[in-house]
Formats: sequence, structure tokens, C-alpha cells
Amino acid sequence: MTEAIKIKVTDLSFSYRDRPILKNVNVDFAENSITALTGPSGVGKSTFLMTLNRLWENLPDADMTGTVEIKLQGRFRNVYAPTMSVTELRKMVAMVFQAPNPLPMSIRKNIAFPLKLAGEGNREFMAHKVEHALRMANLWDEVKGRLNDDARTLSGGQQQRLCIARALVLEPEVLLLDEPTSSLDQTSIAVIEELLLGLKDRLTILLVSHYLEQVSRISDTIVTFDDNTIIS
Amino acid sequence: MKKIGELVAERTFLLSALASSSITVAILAFMVFMGLPLMKQAGFYQLLVKPWAPYQGSFGIYPMIVGTGCISFLSLVVAFPLSLGCSFLIATIAPKPVSKGLRRLIELMTGIPTVIYGFVGIFLLVPYIRELFRSGSGLCVLTAALVLGIMITPTMTLFFCDSFDRIPRSYLTAAEALGASRTQKLLYVILPCAKKGMLNGVILALGRAVGDTLVALMLAGNSVRVPGSVLEPARTLTAHIALVIAADYESPEFRSIFACGVVLYLFTMMVTFLVRYLSFAEGRRD
Repeated sequence: MTEAIKIKVTDLSFSYRDRPILKNVNVDFAENSITALTGPSGVGKSTFLMTLNRLWENLPDADMTGTVEIKLQGRFRNVYAPTMSVTELRKMVAMVFQAPNPLPMSIRKNIAFPLKLAGEGNREFMAHKVEHALRMANLWDEVKGRLNDDARTLSGGQQQRLCIARALVLEPEVLLLDEPTSSLDQTSIAVIEELLLGLKDRLTILLVSHYLEQVSRISDTIVTFDDNTIIS
Repeated sequence: MKKIGELVAERTFLLSALASSSITVAILAFMVFMGLPLMKQAGFYQLLVKPWAPYQGSFGIYPMIVGTGCISFLSLVVAFPLSLGCSFLIATIAPKPVSKGLRRLIELMTGIPTVIYGFVGIFLLVPYIRELFRSGSGLCVLTAALVLGIMITPTMTLFFCDSFDRIPRSYLTAAEALGASRTQKLLYVILPCAKKGMLNGVILALGRAVGDTLVALMLAGNSVRVPGSVLEPARTLTAHIALVIAADYESPEFRSIFACGVVLYLFTMMVTFLVRYLSFAEGRRD
């Protein structure tokens, strides 16, 4: 395992409606590894993920202090620097949510959506990328004949893999997953765990999970949250 | 005990439902019955396509249908971009307190009596239009359409806001997490999802524009000729009814306004059915 650092978090505190959610979090995450974030509910694990891609910024009455630096395109960059474009950041630091959230459009369009946002217009290139992303997410064989179907007709496990494929299509450097398997059955969970292990070579994965078994099965490092900060 | 109470309540509700629905049907029947002599004499279709020239014995309402069509269509053209901007500001851009305040204000605006809009139009807009184009009195299709457009904007805006609010939060979060800018979120997620609700809003606002009487009566100039441009005066069906209603009750002029009534009635009915059909289609899809 490489020990190169990918993400450096320093003195991070976060409050929502004047209630502290995170207090003085200092932590580093290694490159090309899976780090599991565990701990009881409500200790700020999901919030912590959102501080890495600035997704919390649309919440009213939320406040954050501290710094987050991520090595993007080979050099460390302060995520909250004024020169950092939030849309660019989110293209490099992708996120998958607890409940699968396909957009109300076809499977193909869902995967191509980030490409469209990035201004890509070449249809052949997009088709190629869509196939590549679906293959990475082990979903291609199941959906290749029905790419034009509404993505919401897929099963829960398939929807979640679709969301992972969609997050991967822009080739992010970091993948954040917020309890991605908590609404799925055992078979789907196994498929997704295997998928994540296969992705480790390409990117850095942070996974919030309640399942200790899952954590020990796939993670290289475990970070435990409690009492609004990291205890180990 | 409870059974009897329920039965009474059920019957009362049934009765009030029957009463209100039968009144709706009765109004149509009444208008057709009252207009029948003239419709028989001249033919309903003839009434729709002939000009209004009472001294030549022609009681056609064609100019008024054209006037209503032009003014209400133009008012939609005015109201649509205004409403889109307002609702997008309220639903996504403005900070919470501002958007709440704006929404209350717009809700308040839906309650302002039409006559106030007409008044403001006469004193502020009519002289301005007269000076600006130097053609006619300033009482014209354009003036009426502008004021009517502003009048229906609140209704349309509230409908747009509601359909934006109904978009599942997860779609918006998904788009944000994938790096969508605000504009992209609007174009690729919000508008496609809200399309049907917005169409409902447009149709209902159109219904309001067609049904409104006072704004056109006060501002459109009420000429009975078919308007040749937006700077010429015109008369709407509703204004026509209001103007002719003082005529002798047995006269064909008076009879002709029932034809106007039937046309308006059929139009609003069409609008209602269209809205029903669209909401049904939307309900079925989800």
C-alpha cells in the first residue's frame, strides 16, 4: 500500500444552526486506498464528506472553519481557496449518496449527464465513455440492451451502481460514498463491495459505513468518529 | 349514532356538489337558450366569422374573438418571461428570507382588484404609449396586453414556484454533486422536471387573461374593427358583453352577447379539461 497522502484536513470545525457538528478534526487520507469512516449515527460522518466537496454550502445556517487540502492533478490545493471553482472540484471529487438518486431520464442520459455538464458534445466520445463507466461499475452487461429505458426502472442495487458509474464517468480522483449499501440486499452489497475493491488502483475512496463486517472486508484504514470528532 | 351523523354529512355534501355542478350546466343551458333566436336566425358559425355592424343587421362577434385572442396571447408573451424570472429567483437564487418575503408579496398581488390595474394603466401607461409611438390615443391592444400580462404574472409565478418546489431534493443534490452550475441545474434538471406543472400555470393564467373584463374595457379602446396592429384599439368578448348589456333586452344586440358567453364558456371549459388531462397524465407517469 502506498502511503502518499491524498487529503489533508486541518482543524476542521462545522456547525449547523449554531449546533456544533464537527470539532477540531485533523486527519489525513492515503492515496489509492479505501478508508472507512465509522461511528454512531449523528456524529457528523456525512457532514464530514460534504466538507470535502463543498456540498454543504447550499445549506442555510451552516458554518465551517479549518482547511481541507486535496492533491488534485498532482499538487495540493486548498478546496476553499477563492480560485477553486466548486463545479471543477466536484468533477474531481465525486460523491455517491445513501439512497440511489438517478435523475428522471434514461440510463444513457444519466451516465452522460456529467459529460454534458462539462460541455462535451461529441456523441461518439460520449457513447464510448458511457460504456466504459458502466463496465467499470459492473453494470454494462445488465443494461446494454436497454440504455434508453428510464433509469428509475432499474432495481435498487442496479440504481446504486448506475450512480457509481455516473460518478466515475468524469474520472474523478476521489470518490466519496455515504453509506452506499444501506438500502440494498446482500447480493447487491457484495457486488458493490467487489466493485469498490477493483476501483482502488485508480482513485482514493472514502466510505461511510455502519457495518463493521463491511468495513473490515474492504477497507485499508478505519477512521472512527465519536463525540463530533475523530477518536482513532 | 355515528352512522346517522355520517349519513347526514354525506347527503349534505352530495347535495352541495350536485347544486354547484348543476348550476354550471344550467348557466350554459341558459346562455344557449337566450342566444338561440339569433343563432338560429344567423347561424352560430356565421356569428363567429361576421363583423359587428348592428345597423346593417350583422351581429357577428369575429372582431371580438380576434381581439380576445390577440390581447390574451400577447399578455402571455409578457407574463411568461416575467414569471419564469420571478419564480426562479424565489425558488432557487434568493436567500430564504428574501424568497419568503417575495412570495408573500406575490400572493398579495393576486388579490389586487383588476380595476386597480386598469386605473394604473390609464394614468401611467396610456400617456406613455401615446407619446412613445405617436399613433392614436394610447388605448390599444399593446397597452391592454402589457397590463393584463402584469396582472396574470403573480398567478403564473406561484404555479411555477409550486412546480419547482415539487422537484425531489435528490435530483437537485445529484446535479450539484456532479458539478452542475446554477444555470445548468435550471436548464437540465429543474425546467424538464417542472415542465408539466408550468404548462398548467400558463394555461390557467391564459384562462384568467381571457376571462378578465375590466383591463381590456379600460385600456384596449373598444373599437369594433379587427385590429390591424398592436397599436390599434380592439374589443374583447368580455368587454363586448359589458358594453352591450345595457341595450334593449329583446334586441338582437342583446341576444348576441349570449353567443359571446357561449364562446367564453366553451373556451374556459376547454382550458379546464386540458389542465385536468395534463395533471392526470403527470399523475399516471409518476
